[in-house]
Amino acid sequence: MKFDRFAKLIAGLSLAFALPWIFLVMVPFITGSNLEALPYPEGQDIDGGVTAYPDKALYQYGSSDYGRQVYAAEGCAYCHTQVIRPTYAGADMWRKGWGGREEDGFARETQARDYLQEEIAPLGYQRIGPDLSNVGHRITDRDLMHRHLFDPTSIDRDSGMPAFLHLYDEAPDGSKLVPNKKAEALVDYLLSLKKDQPLPSKG
Amino acid sequence: MTVPQPTPEEIKERATIDRSTRYPVMFFFTSAAAWLLAATILGFLSSLKLRVPGLWDECQFMGYGRLFPAHLNALVYGWAMQAGIGVMLWLMARLTRTPLRQTVAVLVTGHLWNAAVALAVCTVWFGFGKSIPLLDFPTWVWPILAIAYALTVMWVIPMFRTRREGLPYISEMFVVGAVLWFPWIFVTANILINKGTAPVMGAGLNAWFISNLSYFWMAPVSLAVAYYIIPKISGRPIFSYPLAHASFWLLAFLAGWTGFSRYMGGPFPAWMSAISGAASIFILLAIVATVVNLMISLKGCSKLWRYSPSLRFTVFGMLMLAIYAILSAASSTYFFGKDLQFSHFMVGLDTLAFYGFFSMTIFGAIYFIVPRITGSEWPSGERIRTHFWFSAYGIITLVITMLVGGIAQGGDLAVWDRAFSVSFVNSSAYVVGRATAWGLIGYSNLLFLCQLYQMFIGKGRKSEGPTLLHTEPGKAASAKAAAGMS
Repeated sequence: MKFDRFAKLIAGLSLAFALPWIFLVMVPFITGSNLEALPYPEGQDIDGGVTAYPDKALYQYGSSDYGRQVYAAEGCAYCHTQVIRPTYAGADMWRKGWGGREEDGFARETQARDYLQEEIAPLGYQRIGPDLSNVGHRITDRDLMHRHLFDPTSIDRDSGMPAFLHLYDEAPDGSKLVPNKKAEALVDYLLSLKKDQPLPSKG
Repeated sequence: MTVPQPTPEEIKERATIDRSTRYPVMFFFTSAAAWLLAATILGFLSSLKLRVPGLWDECQFMGYGRLFPAHLNALVYGWAMQAGIGVMLWLMARLTRTPLRQTVAVLVTGHLWNAAVALAVCTVWFGFGKSIPLLDFPTWVWPILAIAYALTVMWVIPMFRTRREGLPYISEMFVVGAVLWFPWIFVTANILINKGTAPVMGAGLNAWFISNLSYFWMAPVSLAVAYYIIPKISGRPIFSYPLAHASFWLLAFLAGWTGFSRYMGGPFPAWMSAISGAASIFILLAIVATVVNLMISLKGCSKLWRYSPSLRFTVFGMLMLAIYAILSAASSTYFFGKDLQFSHFMVGLDTLAFYGFFSMTIFGAIYFIVPRITGSEWPSGERIRTHFWFSAYGIITLVITMLVGGIAQGGDLAVWDRAFSVSFVNSSAYVVGRATAWGLIGYSNLLFLCQLYQMFIGKGRKSEGPTLLHTEPGKAASAKAAAGMS
């Protein structure tokens, strides 16, 4: 009798949890693990000879794989998101340069395939700083990107970003800062951030 | 209505059970309180760093992206879970009338848990983190945490099975639920996230884990406490026992669906955040029904919470739980959520869960348990009172400033042609509130820690009567009842 009652409780608790576990976690996870690149249909003209979305080569830039680890270890995602929401969920796509290259006047929301080069998509926790989904379009100059890291207030007086001085060493003569390996990798990663590759048109 | 008085044999039995849990439970409480102090200091420093970005720029360990995750890990794994484990062990021993026999084993696994927490906090702080809140320690740390947890709480299951008579009490069901659910969500989230084959689901699972930790672990443990403390101190049964059961099962069936609404509009199928939002709203039914049920049970006993520290903390925790459920339901609708998403509000909401409802209820339990297992009374009622008010004002300040600051920040972001830094400048005033709140909470927990260590080393007050928040001459009888002398 005692066992029956215990077994019943355990069965109930397990059933309660198993439903969301299967349908909200496992099924979407397996679906997400099997995402494949979509080829562009004939007639859709894409610059640069890219044949499929996403083309992982577009997201590789120098040591950006190591830079991704630096980005995670410094906790960048606690203040910067990498997610562009559709217009019904926020004004992200109207912000200049957030949803795509500014001069094209084109913006789109981020989709699951945009993150295939990552291990864990750094969607982010808060927006203390601007969204970085397409920061590789907004800042293209390497030196400028470095300046954003070691002296952000020189670019925007009101910037809330701390200076990441520990990624930079002083030059032997003490005249300027020299980026170390981590800083170079982080800049590679930031320059590689572009999540506006054209989607294949349907039919 | 009065409760039948315990017979001398029963009192003796209770004392035996309490003594059996003394060392493990005190170990969990004292080390948890030490972690809590560390967490509040880290919380204060991280808020200060957020307000004054240029502070300590030369030191890599003082960046917000390092301090804040270290703070979260210390707060949740160091303090909240550890104190919760201690409460669960004692509660289960008392409710099933079984002494805890595996004292040494529990002490060993308790040390293992503390070592794992230290690793989790330090690896993140020293720059090996993964930028996913509460799961950001390196991959090899989580199995240690999972094993230490399983080996510590597994003794609850045989206790539950050997209980002697009658149907299980609602608190036992909540404890068994929390014992089983946590490893399931923790192991699932860690394995799938670290597998790394579905990057977007990795982030989604992280949000799912945070929400499930609140509703599947923190809410059950604090409700188990509330369902025990409130009848015990008021001397009255739960107003409606069927309602308690119904809300237990409602919570059990809904909690697992929550979480994805944190990323609504994100790169997930829209049904996922929709179903999470719906679950968060329906969970409101379970939580509000529970809190109302508990409050009605206390009707006419409001005088008691003037005196009893346990009751005052527990009732405050339950009110915070209701507020948490309301805010999390509101923020999972597009109407509120699209501006509050990614704003300071999310920090306020998470802290409301970890500190607001969970910790305050657990303080109630600790004030109840420790005198019984150490055989001495709390040294000073005045310090308990200070602990309560500083904690209460601290958490209220934090939640309100983060809510208002979040609205300010989200409102600025919603205007597409407003410069981004405006949102930072306008909301940073509210971060002062967050720093102040951690300062207040830090002071209150310093007092708490001092009192707890005094009890630990046997320097408690040796007295017949319990320590109350206020003592009024001539009211000793009611005061005695207020502290739940049993």
